[in-house]
Amino acid sequence: MQLLNEWAFIGVFFAIAWVFPLLPIAGSWFLRPHKPNAIKQQTYECGVETVGDTWVQFKVQYYIYALVFLVFDVEMVFLFPWAVAYKQLDWFAFGAGFLFIFLLADALIYAWRKNALEWI
Amino acid sequence: MNATEFNFLASLPSIAPEVGLTIMAMVVLFLDLYLPESQRRNIAYVAGAGLALLAITPLIPGWAPPADGNLLFWGGMVRHDVLSQIFKVMILLAGAITCFMSIDVKDIGRKGEFYLIIIISTLGACLLSAASDLIMVFLALETMTIPLYILATFKRDDSKSAESGMKYFLFGSFASAIMLFGLSLLYGFTGQTNLYLIAEYITSSQFIPNAIPVLGAMVLIVVGFGFKISAAPFHFWTPDVYEGAPTPVTAFVSVASKAASFALLVRFFIAVFPSALVIGDQHLQDFWVQLMAVLAVVSMVVGNVVALSQRNIKRLLAYSSIAQAGYTLIGVAAIQAQTLEGQTQAVASVGFYMFMYTFTNLLAFAVIILFTEATGSETIKDLAGLNRRSPWLALMLTIALLSLAGIPPAAGFFGKFFLFNAAVQANLTWLAIVGVLNSIVALYYYLVVIKVMYVDRSPDEDKPIPMSISYVWVLGVTALVVIVLGTVGAQPIFDWAMRSAGSLFS
Repeated sequence: MQLLNEWAFIGVFFAIAWVFPLLPIAGSWFLRPHKPNAIKQQTYECGVETVGDTWVQFKVQYYIYALVFLVFDVEMVFLFPWAVAYKQLDWFAFGAGFLFIFLLADALIYAWRKNALEWI
Repeated sequence: MNATEFNFLASLPSIAPEVGLTIMAMVVLFLDLYLPESQRRNIAYVAGAGLALLAITPLIPGWAPPADGNLLFWGGMVRHDVLSQIFKVMILLAGAITCFMSIDVKDIGRKGEFYLIIIISTLGACLLSAASDLIMVFLALETMTIPLYILATFKRDDSKSAESGMKYFLFGSFASAIMLFGLSLLYGFTGQTNLYLIAEYITSSQFIPNAIPVLGAMVLIVVGFGFKISAAPFHFWTPDVYEGAPTPVTAFVSVASKAASFALLVRFFIAVFPSALVIGDQHLQDFWVQLMAVLAVVSMVVGNVVALSQRNIKRLLAYSSIAQAGYTLIGVAAIQAQTLEGQTQAVASVGFYMFMYTFTNLLAFAVIILFTEATGSETIKDLAGLNRRSPWLALMLTIALLSLAGIPPAAGFFGKFFLFNAAVQANLTWLAIVGVLNSIVALYYYLVVIKVMYVDRSPDEDKPIPMSISYVWVLGVTALVVIVLGTVGAQPIFDWAMRSAGSLFS
């Protein structure tokens, strides 16, 4: 039973997680006036009306850019704890961090040489 | 896992091949960037020779598993034992041979990325065969399979290749997710990630003895493994991926990922659900052994029966590989043997079968690569008259098919002999009989291919199939290994496999 009590917390959190977003939505539904008109019901996209078909093909370069960006984005996540704990680390952990940066730099050189960073 | 002090240099031999592979990956990457177009063939030679050299590293005496029995390294992430040794050797050799037989393949042979991705996948497979921690298991599994998804789509302009990669990716990530769910449940029940500590915790008094949830986790993990080793009924991706992927990739997927998955399969189930493990009054081993037996029967029957009606040689080998996974699972089921000797023999038969299967399948696919590169056809009918076109090629494919069928003097005979022997020793005689009956069915479709090559005539008989020196070596070496394993080499390799199996139970 001890086990069940511990897990019950998750159940409580689960219930709260549902209530938390639903409450403001329901609240605003009751409070707000309900007067639709043509202008209000237009498609809203960043404040500008869409031009042409929305199902256009993106340039493949976007994905490569995003991927290269992501590599360094994730690198930051891993390097941050390493940098914070820097003073308590031994030589092995210090080297491991640099090895990690080195491998990623390798990938960047590859992407660079293959002209992935050029906008054609 | 003892809390011994971390010693960097003493830990290094346990991952020596992986360190080498990482360095090689960088070397190949830079070769791809800086080699001029005229010398690009050399990338394949560098990658192949490097992988073949690394295959020796697990065998260096000074780097052998330590004798003091403290085999867990890197915080319990990997186990440096003879099982990982034998499987690393076979995976690295599979990678090397794959590199050598990709050289002349159109759109692939001169791309450095291809070899780079093969090396990374090999790295994952090597880690997988040594992984002894839930985190390492999943990490290595993904390091091995994600490159394989990329490799399957490597012929970008070929819609079949794209289809096969997409199917592989969707099925693969689904199976990984199911398996990860099983692993996370196991972690949730025990609070341990190390395979060897999980069993310890379950037997301790802290664990509430309830077998049902643990069995649920076990079934989910079996589903994940079933996918990776392409056992029926989780085999639906196999024919499409094998057919659509570039042929060297098919060869690599069919041997390296399967061998590594089998290594982990036996390690995982022996470590986490050993025969001594009892929850309540349920012997957990009885459950997974029966699951394996059922999977074995279904895989053998589905693989062999469906293979009978195939017209495409790659599809035929795909169904054959499903059936081969079924035969190998007989050995896994035979771990239920009462004596330690019997259990060791069961694991050793799995190791030996994977060893011989690696070389046999690579030999078969090397011939198919040469044939399809020259003729552009993959149908069995077009193999007609191959004996008159290129007698050596026909002979090589015959050796490979006879080995797959289990006929001496090819290696497959001893492979099946050890498996069935282990099954009989474990009181699974019925399973051995099903295996033998299936081998007879399988013999038919293998012999049909041989008949087409030797008896049927074709108008192209005066056009021999060209092959470069690299392929001559690949064919010669793999064929030699297959024959040696089927004659004088069977005993030493089986002894090695016995030692590797013994390392799991110590």
